[in-house]
Amino acid sequence: MDTCQTGQAELGLLIKQGAEARVYLSSFVGRKCIVKERFSKKYRHPILDSKLTVKRLNAEARCMTKARKLGVVTPVLYGVDPVLHTLTFEFIEGHAVKDILLEFGSNGIVEERLNDIAAQIGIAIAKLHDGGLVHGDLTTSNMIVKEGTNQLVLIDFGLSFTSTLPEDKAVDLYVLERALLSMHSSCGDVMEKILAAYRKSSKQWSATMNKLDQVRQRGRKRTMVG
Amino acid sequence: MQSAKMEPEVALLNASLVPDIFPVLAAAHKALVSKSRESLTTRTLHSELVYNYAASKHISESLKRCGISDQMSYILAVRFNASDDEMTSVTNLINGKEIDLEELEPRSNRDQILKHFKIPPQELAISSLSDAITCRIAARDAL
Repeated sequence: MDTCQTGQAELGLLIKQGAEARVYLSSFVGRKCIVKERFSKKYRHPILDSKLTVKRLNAEARCMTKARKLGVVTPVLYGVDPVLHTLTFEFIEGHAVKDILLEFGSNGIVEERLNDIAAQIGIAIAKLHDGGLVHGDLTTSNMIVKEGTNQLVLIDFGLSFTSTLPEDKAVDLYVLERALLSMHSSCGDVMEKILAAYRKSSKQWSATMNKLDQVRQRGRKRTMVG
Repeated sequence: MQSAKMEPEVALLNASLVPDIFPVLAAAHKALVSKSRESLTTRTLHSELVYNYAASKHISESLKRCGISDQMSYILAVRFNASDDEMTSVTNLINGKEIDLEELEPRSNRDQILKHFKIPPQELAISSLSDAITCRIAARDAL
């Protein structure tokens, strides 16, 4: 670790800051890793804030390990620190699906690759949903294609929760659909390919798909007639 | 078993449960952090390593399962910040032959590992044993 950003606790090199957490690059007993720090909200009472943050941290760790047990590829968890409010994960070498699709949009689509990615997305979400886990933030920036193996890795389980309700699963898919429509419409109907793979791999797809149709009708800027 | 004090202090693990050195390093890292915060769950730093490796909240059960017993013939000895002299006295403590760390993988008991850490076949399809164990070590206190 030669170039470290000096914060109060030197967690590593800051590479991204989101609404809920900061992401640092570091090393864990010799391996390149990611340190995700959930920051405290200063407007909250300190004791309450700490308790809430630790709770969210543990929930994220739990959901990730549950996802792994269901056969969904996620980064390996290296450590959880309740005092510093950090999670340490393996660093995944590769590009976010968002960047790959944006590249397809500007430089032309590689049909085979797109189909492969879409299929993997559908299968991964199906495994999650069948196992009673909802990701909560399915967007193309939370999916990485691993360099070399081209394996899809899901990241950021910070908003995930356990649910078997078709409503929650449908909303999960809907979030992804909206994200694809807004950012990657130049890639064609990727969602259809994802849903096809989802239907094939999921055992409870029909209830979820019916709900999805309902959710689509409810969305923003939709005329509610009836 | 890791109950008494001894010189030099060393963690003795059942090596059949160790497919690779990385999870041991993760357990060691965790133990070191706990020690630095004076929040060890077990009595010593080295017993904490064994407890962490078991990825279970049950202390005595973990020390029993992942530590060694008199009959055991395959042991991994781990010591923090060891000098050459200290490692020599550790080797003298154990009546046996020292072998290379590369032998960890072929000599590990895969079935025992799958059973102890409760690793389902779906997880095995997407992960190595080493990664599966490391996740459990890391997430133990979050569960």
